[in-house]
Amino acid sequence: MSTVENKEQMPPAEPPLILGNQTFGTVTDRISKLAERKTTLTWLAALSLAASVALLLLGSIGYLFYEGIGIWGLNVPVAWGWAIVNFVFWVGIGHAGTLISAILFLFRQKWRTSINRFAEAMTLFAVICALVFPGIHVGRIWVVYWMFPLPNQMDMWPNFRSPLLWDVFAVSIYFTCSLVFWYTGLIPDLATLRDRATTKIRKIVLGIFSLGWRGGNRQWKHYELAYLILAGVSTPLVLSVHSVVSTDFAVSVVPGWHTTIFPPYFVAGAIFSGFAMVMTLGIITRKVFHLEDFITNQHLEKMNKIMLLTGMMVGYSYACEFFIAWYSGNAYEQFAFINRAFGPYAWAYWIMISCNVLIPQMFWFRKLRTSIPVMFVASIFINIGMWFERFVIVMSLARDYLPSSWDYYSPTTWDVLTFIGSFGLFFTLFLLFLRFLPVVAMFEVKGVLPEADPHHKGGSH
Amino acid sequence: MTADSKTYKLIEKGRLGIIALVVGVVGLAASALGWVSEPERFYHAFLTAFVFWTSIALGGLFFTMMHHLTGARWSVVVRRICENLMMQLPWLFLAFIPVYFGIHDLYHWSHTEAVAADHALQGKAAYLNVGFFTIRTVAYFAIWSILAVLLYRVSLKQDAGHKPEHLKSMRKISAIGMLLFAATITLSGWDWLMSLEPHWFSTVFGVYLFSGSFLNAVAVVTGVCLYLRKEDALRNTFTLEHFHDLGKLMLAFTIFWGYIGFAQYFLIWYGNLPEETFWYTARWEGSWKIVSLVLLFGHFALPFVILLFRNVKRSLPIMGFLGIWFLVMHWLDYYWLIYPTFTEQGASIGGLEIAAVLGLGGIFIWQLWRRIGSSPVVPVGDPELDNSINFVNN
Repeated sequence: MSTVENKEQMPPAEPPLILGNQTFGTVTDRISKLAERKTTLTWLAALSLAASVALLLLGSIGYLFYEGIGIWGLNVPVAWGWAIVNFVFWVGIGHAGTLISAILFLFRQKWRTSINRFAEAMTLFAVICALVFPGIHVGRIWVVYWMFPLPNQMDMWPNFRSPLLWDVFAVSIYFTCSLVFWYTGLIPDLATLRDRATTKIRKIVLGIFSLGWRGGNRQWKHYELAYLILAGVSTPLVLSVHSVVSTDFAVSVVPGWHTTIFPPYFVAGAIFSGFAMVMTLGIITRKVFHLEDFITNQHLEKMNKIMLLTGMMVGYSYACEFFIAWYSGNAYEQFAFINRAFGPYAWAYWIMISCNVLIPQMFWFRKLRTSIPVMFVASIFINIGMWFERFVIVMSLARDYLPSSWDYYSPTTWDVLTFIGSFGLFFTLFLLFLRFLPVVAMFEVKGVLPEADPHHKGGSH
Repeated sequence: MTADSKTYKLIEKGRLGIIALVVGVVGLAASALGWVSEPERFYHAFLTAFVFWTSIALGGLFFTMMHHLTGARWSVVVRRICENLMMQLPWLFLAFIPVYFGIHDLYHWSHTEAVAADHALQGKAAYLNVGFFTIRTVAYFAIWSILAVLLYRVSLKQDAGHKPEHLKSMRKISAIGMLLFAATITLSGWDWLMSLEPHWFSTVFGVYLFSGSFLNAVAVVTGVCLYLRKEDALRNTFTLEHFHDLGKLMLAFTIFWGYIGFAQYFLIWYGNLPEETFWYTARWEGSWKIVSLVLLFGHFALPFVILLFRNVKRSLPIMGFLGIWFLVMHWLDYYWLIYPTFTEQGASIGGLEIAAVLGLGGIFIWQLWRRIGSSPVVPVGDPELDNSINFVNN
């Protein structure tokens, strides 16, 4: 072929996804050992800290159940405070995992293999944290099951036209599918751990959870089809969950809430915040576990590009909202936005703009988007910014149609403790995952090694 | 039509260009007659045709930029077709001239006496006035044309011999271009279409228009590939694998269009504020109800179900049919966006509407075909071209 003769015409060689000349054997060794080695002191210290913080959550919830919702800073007109902010914040974070595993899988993005496992785990834990908040906000906790449409003699049903009920469905479906997807992805790796197990108990437990996986040709064939179908099922969920969450606000007629861009805007924001959290955790995990060969700069740079993109989508939505508020000619709508930018919560608004729109602009420059300290700090700022985005939205309530009912909402200590405690729960679960399960999908990483290519080293098959 | 299998150039372009030109001239002549007898209706029809073809060229611009930004490989073979599509943007500005002359027939806000009597419109007058509106449209076309020409120039340079800088510079242009694209497609949509009903507003309107534009650029690219494939020399260039991927894009953007359309409708329905619902109420009255339902099923539900199947995406006749189907639905979508504002008697598609869209379309296809013939049909300098041609779905 003429194109091959000309050196300049050759496609640029692709940088390898996995570094350090890994072979199938070294991948298995390095990842499995993390789950097999003796408990380290660092891990124990981290778990103690995380679990202690999680106790704050338990304690706060205990007192909440004893005393009632009055311990929070809620009042009319702000009847939704930090609980809904935290709920949306955590659900949003829970979006990256499934996006990485399902959508990037359908897009044939091979770089996902190094990060999908822990991103999915993170998703599950974030959704668990999210579910806590509406669960404890119901007031009469002893009838919390009324959230579900259960047939009963009183013929009482939840309001099917309420987005809060759709939330129950959307988030629980999302959680179930993400769990099944994650577990399915784990099976071959669990079998690897089982085969390496040295103690009887380990062998039995892992044997049960790996569902008799033998790694035969037939099993792989079924497995891959199942995984593809699960990816197909999970993909629409990535979009639907946060769209439904956005309707919590958008179906109402509160100025600043009722706007048609909310569903896609929320989805973009969710992916944005989810990637930021994957980045924060990924950088720490890779450092502590010495996974630099697996989660390489290339992976991090790609994630930064996605954050740049989704951050800009969020910025686009802010701009559309602001402009259309003016254009609508609706005085309440106009006021809501002027009030956001210059009213009592202006500080929160500008934190949101700085963190979500300005900070990601750094990622235009290769130098900055490949610098680990820069991206680590940026990812934390984005997390903060995305929390404030929800706070800004919810605080539209503080100044509604009736100036006589205006108020300034402030959280109480219990609000703050509950929120901080949710991070404890999140990190406790994440640390347990890091300790007992393979952090990187070993069998998928092996699939993207040069060794997996039948034409490797010029060999022909 | 004959093509050279080495250089990928069309040696003999066949009659498509001439046929398209004849259709275009006849269509435009018929539209001109319509202008004499029913000037108002002519403007409605011509605006519909104008935004329809412009949106497809814009979809081509987006496709090209997305290709560069993602570094996709499968789409290298269709890149030149997308580039040829976006190169229609510079001359499409001429098609705005009739719209400009029809401003007073099209845009209620352009009448000073109407604005003076309307408190809401007075508030928007700083944005919605003839001078600023025209300046904005000139700016949109200037931005689109500059982006298209810049990208196209580098692409042709690459044909002569690839240098790594080429891909780099196209990627850079695309990065900035994507920002400008997002802003301009949104604002132009608000200007040309949303402001037809100046009291109505929807923040997601720009995204809605974008979804349809890209979907239909994919439809046109599919059609062009199918047509080029009639030539033996190109049969192995555009393979089933490429159609399969184009089909996946169609499916994705059918869903996206439905999603955005639903988000807009649903939130307005639920909020039930008269200042927003009147726009949908007008589209649910009399025969407009039928158009709305045809769009719901024809633009979303049916293609969605059909495109789920792998065999469909790999069937050339069905893909060709779907390409045309989407174009019809896309036009109907714009008809549905534009006409209910003006006609009280309900939907009726007559000769003038068809003449306008085919007239401008004939010129569009003629120009597109000329452009396709002027350079290799695939970017021969792209180092990934062989990979793209031999690409296999798995």
